[in-house]
Amino acid sequence: MTYSYVLFPNHLEGLKLEKLLKERNIKYTITPAPRELSSCCGIAIRIKPELTKSIQSIVKNHGVSISGIQSLEVKSYFNI
Amino acid sequence: MRDYREMWQSLDMDLEKHDELCEVLPKFYSDIYLSQENRPEGMNYYNFVISEVHGLRIKELVNAKAENQKVVGTFCVYVPDEIINASNAISVGLCSGSDFWIPDGEKYLPRNTCPLVKSAVGAKVSGTCPYFQSCDMIVGETTCDGKKKAWEILEEHTNMYVMDLPQMKREKDYKHWKEEIFEFSSELSKLTGKELTVENLTDSINLINKKRETLQKLYEFRKLKELPISGKDVLLITQIAFYDNIERFIEKTEELIHELEKRVEEKVSVFDEDTPRILVTGTPMAVPNWKLHHLIETSGGAVVCEETCTGTRYFENLVDNTGKSLDEKVEALADRYMGINCACFTPNNGRTEDIIRLYEEYSANGVIYYSLPFCNTYAIEAKQVMDALEAKGIPVIHIESGYSLEDAGQVKTRLEAFFEMLRS
Repeated sequence: MTYSYVLFPNHLEGLKLEKLLKERNIKYTITPAPRELSSCCGIAIRIKPELTKSIQSIVKNHGVSISGIQSLEVKSYFNI
Repeated sequence: MRDYREMWQSLDMDLEKHDELCEVLPKFYSDIYLSQENRPEGMNYYNFVISEVHGLRIKELVNAKAENQKVVGTFCVYVPDEIINASNAISVGLCSGSDFWIPDGEKYLPRNTCPLVKSAVGAKVSGTCPYFQSCDMIVGETTCDGKKKAWEILEEHTNMYVMDLPQMKREKDYKHWKEEIFEFSSELSKLTGKELTVENLTDSINLINKKRETLQKLYEFRKLKELPISGKDVLLITQIAFYDNIERFIEKTEELIHELEKRVEEKVSVFDEDTPRILVTGTPMAVPNWKLHHLIETSGGAVVCEETCTGTRYFENLVDNTGKSLDEKVEALADRYMGINCACFTPNNGRTEDIIRLYEEYSANGVIYYSLPFCNTYAIEAKQVMDALEAKGIPVIHIESGYSLEDAGQVKTRLEAFFEMLRS
């Protein structure tokens, strides 16, 4: 399964986007930023890839500062 | 997030090694937690806490320290949070649930020590846990031999204070624990400059009772036929209760409870109807020890309750806050804490009674007696508990397993066989 991950420069921007998504009833999952996409510990917001465009416009229209939106295939690392 | 790196550096952490830990945690969390279907939306808060576990919460602690608040680390549910909170200090339950820290722990401790103790020592000596690094005082207690000796090692690395927990429950032991609480409070006031008063202790008892009541409400959902939340998720929430900001934790957990009420109305269950309901009893599961719950819930079972220190022992029984004097209030604290049934006590029949009661309250179908390797008290107590359960016709198996995933396949096979038996 491939998801899009919205990455942020800090958690406050992440929470700002979360609030906007909540208000719009858009499904999202807060997740630790995957290391493949970011070298920093912190949050990312995972969404279905088909929502990427609408998220991009929400981000733009509401001045949320993000470090990018990237897609990543979710795999099992620990095989348990 | 450059600011976190600077913050970690200011806490004298080994950044390179800590980076290895940061590499593993997101993957592990994602495998265990984000693979679940139909989780409540409210779990996003706890996803957030774990994502920022070494970031935002540490920043809050560092900021509080800059305002002259003190941070006090604890390991055990007998250490009274009410006293720490009343002294204007912040209590954090310390990390000791990862095998990442075990090699460093084994540099100081024999290999045949329990993983929880090795992991705690390893976390401190390796300088890779920002919670340990933030503590102005770490409070140990005389529960088991491994811990008692570990405090002597940690004393070389940090400001340790040890509470002498009785091992029996006679009248004089209750009195002794009350005296220990008073002594702890006086030691703490030297650190914080704040004396314990009737007012600040009353407020603190109220707040922490409220946190316990919130957890009690959350656990009520696990008694229902249709389970609106997984056992794995509830374990995570209970673990987070040990170190999150108390007011925020209550607020967010109340929000989740509200969502779960709606799920109940809509008859939403995260498990199939005939899923065996499991009561887990035994040793604590510190973050990020989610192994057993994950194995149970991916092998066809549902965990409905934990009779552990990261379960009911943490929040059952509130502190009676009706006393008027400091003496009465501390006595109420001692009574509440001495009511916890840990295998370090002899005799400990109360624990067996608790397990049987919880088995009925949560309509469980079977019990998993879980112990960490080399945890003598819980391993030895297993026989009498299991005999008592079998005499009542309660199905039970004993699983001894550490933090390593090497035995995951074997544990899974045993679990599947147990659940098959419960279903038939």
